[in-house]
Amino acid sequence: MRKLQAVLAVAVLTMVAIGLSSCGGSGGKEGGTLTGSYASFPELDPALSYSQEGWMAMYDTYLPLLTYKHADGEEGAEVVPALAESLPEVSNGGKTYTLTLRKGLKYSDGTPVKASDFAGTVERLFKINSPGSPFYEGIVGAERFAKTKSGGISGIKTDDATGKIEIELTQPRGTFTNELAMLFVALVPPGTPAKSLANDPPPATGPYEIAGVEPGKGWSYVRNPQWAKGNGDAIPEVPSGHVDKIAIKLVRNSATQVNEIERNQTDWMQTLVPADQYAKVKGKYEGTQFRVEHPISTYFFWMNTQKAPFDDVKVRQAVNYAVDSEALERIYAGQLTASHQILPEGMPGHKTFDLYPHDMAKAKKLFAEADPSDRKITVWTINESPNDKAGAYYAGVLGELGFGVKLKTINADNYFGIIGNLSTPDLDTGWADWLQDYPHPNDFFQPLLDGESIAPTYNTNTAQMDDPKLNAKIARLGSEELGSKQEDGYAQLDREFMEQAPLAPYGSIVTSTFVNDEIDLEKVIYNPTMGQDLTSFQFK
Amino acid sequence: MEGRSPWYLAYRRLRRNRLALAAAGLFAAILVFVLAAPLWAHQVAHTTPNANHTLEKVEVDGEVREVVDREGKPVGPLWLGAGGRFFLGADGTLGRDEMVRLMYGGRISLLIGFGATLLATLLATVLGLLAGYYRGWTDATISRALDVLWSFPVTLLAIALGLALAVGGLRIGPLHLSGGSIWIPVLIIGFVYTPYMARPIRGQVLSLREQEFVEAAVAQGAGPLRVMFGELLPNLASTLIVFFALGVANNMLLEATLSFLGVGVQPPNASWGSMIGSGFELITSAPLLTVIPGAMILLTVLSVNVFGEGLRDALDPKSKVLLEAHAGTPEPQGTAV
Repeated sequence: MRKLQAVLAVAVLTMVAIGLSSCGGSGGKEGGTLTGSYASFPELDPALSYSQEGWMAMYDTYLPLLTYKHADGEEGAEVVPALAESLPEVSNGGKTYTLTLRKGLKYSDGTPVKASDFAGTVERLFKINSPGSPFYEGIVGAERFAKTKSGGISGIKTDDATGKIEIELTQPRGTFTNELAMLFVALVPPGTPAKSLANDPPPATGPYEIAGVEPGKGWSYVRNPQWAKGNGDAIPEVPSGHVDKIAIKLVRNSATQVNEIERNQTDWMQTLVPADQYAKVKGKYEGTQFRVEHPISTYFFWMNTQKAPFDDVKVRQAVNYAVDSEALERIYAGQLTASHQILPEGMPGHKTFDLYPHDMAKAKKLFAEADPSDRKITVWTINESPNDKAGAYYAGVLGELGFGVKLKTINADNYFGIIGNLSTPDLDTGWADWLQDYPHPNDFFQPLLDGESIAPTYNTNTAQMDDPKLNAKIARLGSEELGSKQEDGYAQLDREFMEQAPLAPYGSIVTSTFVNDEIDLEKVIYNPTMGQDLTSFQFK
Repeated sequence: MEGRSPWYLAYRRLRRNRLALAAAGLFAAILVFVLAAPLWAHQVAHTTPNANHTLEKVEVDGEVREVVDREGKPVGPLWLGAGGRFFLGADGTLGRDEMVRLMYGGRISLLIGFGATLLATLLATVLGLLAGYYRGWTDATISRALDVLWSFPVTLLAIALGLALAVGGLRIGPLHLSGGSIWIPVLIIGFVYTPYMARPIRGQVLSLREQEFVEAAVAQGAGPLRVMFGELLPNLASTLIVFFALGVANNMLLEATLSFLGVGVQPPNASWGSMIGSGFELITSAPLLTVIPGAMILLTVLSVNVFGEGLRDALDPKSKVLLEAHAGTPEPQGTAV
């Protein structure tokens, strides 16, 4: 009898153990295919992609020398080594950065990763006029290379035998470590063509590689075969991921995206939940399938300061008074935290202020004082909801102020390319957003408002702001290591720019992670810079 | 016995076709509805089609309601509860009056439908007359050019043109149309539908030019222009009228497709197609925003099509007889060898 009890006990324990392992216990399932949906098609060439959608799509595919820790919140803002063995050694008064490439790394096509690939990758940025190239113009010889597109960049010295990479800057740059973690400088093999490879992405170094792209339809990932062979062990900072395949499809309508998740036809949606369904989805699924995320961002309307009527500071200030953040919060239906300044909450240096509380009467008075001669303007906006509504609202406000407004709504796939191309006619004013490239306040001033950032294509300084005094302040603060003194300096800079009012900021976006009931929401990482981390998705 | 003109006979045949007359009545009602847009907007709704009312409130039977609530939901149809304001509700988070946009949107949809058809008819008539009358290399050149256009799927061609012209607009010599102009979809639709009208017109001209009345005109010294526009064109009139009526329906549908896809009428202007597009975002919470403009398109296209069919039967009764005869004749079961 005792023997029988012992056998039964062993049997029960075995069954429990099998049961737990089949459930995955706290570990969850490994493998499977994750399906996701995007509302617009991002650029899938790491040298050209300059949107969070694109970076999210390539965070686990293309690795720079450094990367951001695969973690949520503040922890995710930490720069960690990726292809490099360790963080850079900074010498020569902040002008020389030395790194060493990890050994034994290979691209997904089997080509060995070499130190000289870093030089080739940076050169490729300049050859294809990447929107990221201004971040690397401070490298000695980069400006010359940008003009000649030949002869190499003298400030980058590499040794393929030892893996040593030495980067010399023309002047100290406090943000350069962050800039080495941007996807623009994710290494690509030598000989990668100097043209957009969005439809035929280059080989990867990360845990996944892009297996195929169907323009206008979607793209897919499979595990990078080199990750299991060596890259994965060499780069412990980057997780290997749980699913074997990822299939992303383009679904333009976000209501359809929600519907597909609710019906378990898709596992995850990248896009914002549509305004009219946000409260319902949040109420029904928060904590189990839905989580609110707070990316560091500023949403704003830009005004072209180089031409009438927005070359007059009074007109720009009038617009700032006229824009009502409360109305925009309503338009975003709970997915916007209103603010009226450039540095968003959560960014070092942020100090809350509002120079232009909504006052239409004051706005009209200022507008009358300015009495602009050119009142026919074009307002540019994107066709992606709810930002298209923000653009239409803005056009209405400008009309109320006294402008003759023509609204141009552009497809989301091309919007930033069009407003970033200075040859586009009638670039008067419009909608834009800015999500942090890296957790440093300089990122909200240098690309958006520094005169040196005005570029003929992929221009990020949409207001074309070029104030020599403020440019010099940006340069000075940017060359220093970030500390409390610099944070105060950035807070002051925020106020000084808002006095000039090149932008009419209206808030920070509140986004979300929404998955179906088969995905373990708790494990999904939302990196504040890169967005959802595809390696963190796991089936329950 | 008193002679009757062919037009009078057609009018009598049309008058007897009650279905066609009902369709004409429906279309007239739709026309009155859209023409009354300014009246409704100013006297009843007290707004304009593109005016935002996001933060406003309306009083409905003594109860104050937000046009857009804090969750971003627009107010639904209030019918006459707020004195006609927001009769069909608000269109989304911008809080625009759906009824006013429906009326103004209808004007744009009809304008594009008629404008594009007029353009296509004019181009097709000129090209068809030239190709059919002159034949030879003129016919070959025009016909091959039309074949090239015909070889593109009409919707894809229109989308491609719409995308290309959406940003920079169109500049031909002194003519400049900005990207948001409603004349852009008129031009695009008129252009892509031209081959579909020009080819049958050319065929008919080829047949007509061999008729005795043309020979008689030439014998009397009429030049090519007079023959084409003085002799052939009047004989094409019934065909053109029927093509025009049916073309309006087709072109309204194409406009709706283009606007739904975002390459037709540009915001903030509304057309029924673009209203379906923007309403589709709220399909789960406010389905009427999609259903109502969709129903307007359906009714308009149906009325124009049915009236067009009636017109064809009235102007060319032989085609109906032929069709009926064909429908009533059993298909041959086999061929004797």
